[in-house]
Amino acid sequence: MASSDERPYSISIPDSELDFLKKKLELTRFPDELEGAAWNYGAPLSDIKRLVGHWQDGYDWRKSEAALNTLPMFTRDIEVEGFGTLNIHYVHQKSDVAGAIPLLFAHGWPGSFLEVRKLLPLLSAGGPDHPSFHVVAPSLPGFGFSEAPSKPGFKGPQYAEVLNKLMLALGYEEYVYQGGDWGYALGKYVVTNYGHRHVKAWHTNMPLPGAPSLFKNPLLYLGMFFLSYDETSMKRLANMKRHRTKGTGYFNEQATKPQTIGYSLADSPVGLLSWIYEKLVSWTDEYPWTDDEVIEWISVYWLSRAGPAASTRIYHELTGGMTHDTDQGTVWTSVPLGVSYFPKEIFQLPKSWSHTLGNLVFESDHDKGGHFAAFEQPEAIAGDLRKMFGKGGPAHGVVPGKGGY
Amino acid sequence: MSQPFRLSVPDADLDLLHKKLDLTRFPDELDGAGWDYGVPLADVKRLVAHWKHGFDWRKSEAEINKLDMYTTDIQVDGFDKLNIHYVHQKSEVPNAIPLLFVHGWPGHFLEVRKLLPYLTSSSPDHPSFHVVAPSLPGFGFSEAPHKPGFAGYQYAEVVHKLMLSLGYNEYVYQGGDFGHTIGVFVVNKYGNTHVKAWHSNLPVYRIPTFFSNPLLFLELLTMPFNKYIRDKVQTSLRIRKKEFGYFMVQSTKPQTIGYSFADSPVGLLAWIYEKLVAASDNYPWTDDEVLEWISIYWHARAGPAASARIYYELTRGNEASDMFEGTSWTSVPLGVAHFPGERISLPKSWAHMLGKVVQESFHEKGGHFAAFEAPEALAGDLRKMFGKGGPAYGVVSGKDGY
Repeated sequence: MASSDERPYSISIPDSELDFLKKKLELTRFPDELEGAAWNYGAPLSDIKRLVGHWQDGYDWRKSEAALNTLPMFTRDIEVEGFGTLNIHYVHQKSDVAGAIPLLFAHGWPGSFLEVRKLLPLLSAGGPDHPSFHVVAPSLPGFGFSEAPSKPGFKGPQYAEVLNKLMLALGYEEYVYQGGDWGYALGKYVVTNYGHRHVKAWHTNMPLPGAPSLFKNPLLYLGMFFLSYDETSMKRLANMKRHRTKGTGYFNEQATKPQTIGYSLADSPVGLLSWIYEKLVSWTDEYPWTDDEVIEWISVYWLSRAGPAASTRIYHELTGGMTHDTDQGTVWTSVPLGVSYFPKEIFQLPKSWSHTLGNLVFESDHDKGGHFAAFEQPEAIAGDLRKMFGKGGPAHGVVPGKGGY
Repeated sequence: MSQPFRLSVPDADLDLLHKKLDLTRFPDELDGAGWDYGVPLADVKRLVAHWKHGFDWRKSEAEINKLDMYTTDIQVDGFDKLNIHYVHQKSEVPNAIPLLFVHGWPGHFLEVRKLLPYLTSSSPDHPSFHVVAPSLPGFGFSEAPHKPGFAGYQYAEVVHKLMLSLGYNEYVYQGGDFGHTIGVFVVNKYGNTHVKAWHSNLPVYRIPTFFSNPLLFLELLTMPFNKYIRDKVQTSLRIRKKEFGYFMVQSTKPQTIGYSFADSPVGLLAWIYEKLVAASDNYPWTDDEVLEWISIYWHARAGPAASARIYYELTRGNEASDMFEGTSWTSVPLGVAHFPGERISLPKSWAHMLGKVVQESFHEKGGHFAAFEAPEALAGDLRKMFGKGGPAYGVVSGKDGY
């Protein structure tokens, strides 16, 4: 296949980049704020001022960098039909267990490969009581330390092609998949295009089913009319409505004008910080973010290989500029699917609708955690994956010869 | 008490701007992107370079200072008094008609500039106006409200009290964009008693319902069978989807995008320039025009972030069904102008939901920023509406414009 050899990767941001950032931070011009605004109008001024101050005086990128460089990271070229080669950055954590299950972990926006970090020790640990995994966590094209596509049209199938080819290049002909946010949406493309043959099962913490249709899901469809939803489902739909009304401005903008917002994200550290931080807080379940965690997260965007603007284009490409759904062209497959529900996830559809996404074999409910589940509740995600793929689990042994023990 | 106003941006502000411009970090761009993903990189790079080396703010400032400008304190019920900046250009004609001109977003008071000579000139052939054009609270050189809840009726109160403070107990009104929206609140509260007629170049209102406008509602129902109306509404909806990201962001998270506006000259430039081009009718913007326009936002008294809040307040954070809550049809005579470049184009009959339409004009050229793009056409509409033989002639007692 068309991918070159792997190279070990160490992040090494030039001093000049860090100096430049410092100069920009020193020139930050803040807006004012309405009295008592709190979070109603967006990220609060006192939070942002404190974070900028920390970015200037407290946060140590070199320390973050050194810690990240202890992760097993690599790059390799992956060729994508019609787009040439993209140099893809990824974490590849092998387990000591020879028969460990190869697992591809895909992040979303405003996420990154960082989100896999807390999962790694849990997933790659061996033991008689639970399965073990070899974990591959790339920076998606246009994110983190991967190259970005240079022309329009890099859509779901293209992202899926990169992800699948990466696994094949690593010798994982058959593997399983985990993702939330874009990791979920891309999962639908990966499973549609490579399901059964390569992807043997998949798991998501952000199921996003459309409403059932009469032809595709007659029982669920009829259920919408004849069965009143239980309190939980009604609450979930109300949460969804609130998110749609109050929380999707960024989606609209990025799906229609990613270049326009891109100028701000590329040029303004505080602009980038506030745009992302707003979601880090509103999409998590009271996660106790430290300033260091926030700034490290933002830094992966600020210092990204393709620049922060590139990361917004996935919204435009996967919605056709807001003209179609993000899963256009994907299909229901019988590839085993596991779903974990977290209470503060931004998309909350009735759980029964998850059956429209695939062959639902595993479901798990949690009472704590939000959108960035792997980061907020790594034990919960790892626990779910262990249950789904472990002995007696519904997806045990899906990868022949790699049962995880 | 009104004071003359002279615009004078401190040197320190200009220094900071230039330091920031020098440190601009640009994104890349997809090959062949054109305008499909937002503002093209080549445009933005050129404009930033011009801002750095070519555009002379002090020259713009000197020209702006040739306008008759003032500030005055206006007290709005429930809010602290706000110091409001405005242009007040009187006509030589003592009985000129007092006209209040209100801008929108991303507009500003300077949109009135090209209209002034047309509106204030005296002639036996057309009426003359005394023109008052404020910077809305939070825009240009007016103060911004400090607390939440400054919505339609509050903006209306400010501009109305401004007119009263100038001795104009009766007056007429012209606006587009938020100038139109605020106009709806102005005529609802002060119509007939004070506002004797009004004119809009963006005559939109809420979608007809069976109870509010049965005839128009039935027209809406016949939409599938009426290709003309269907096309107009569908085009508007499509444009809405493609061009409304800014609206969704500003109506829900104005503070978040505000950090970018306040901190990033190129970020602010791109965000506004996108609309200057998209909403105008192939207006041949010069780089100087664009940068002067953006500069009003960059150097705004309350900072550029404050201007985004009007979207939040008038939609109640996107929870309202429309921006016109609390208003209804009034009998105040209304003139409407349809310009072809306007993004939103609804069936013309829907203007009748707003008020008593006494004049309707259709232009071949011009867009959203009508006063700036087609001042002669807009002035022509006002002259026709208020001139001798016009449908609103003599509405202001003792001030017929001649």
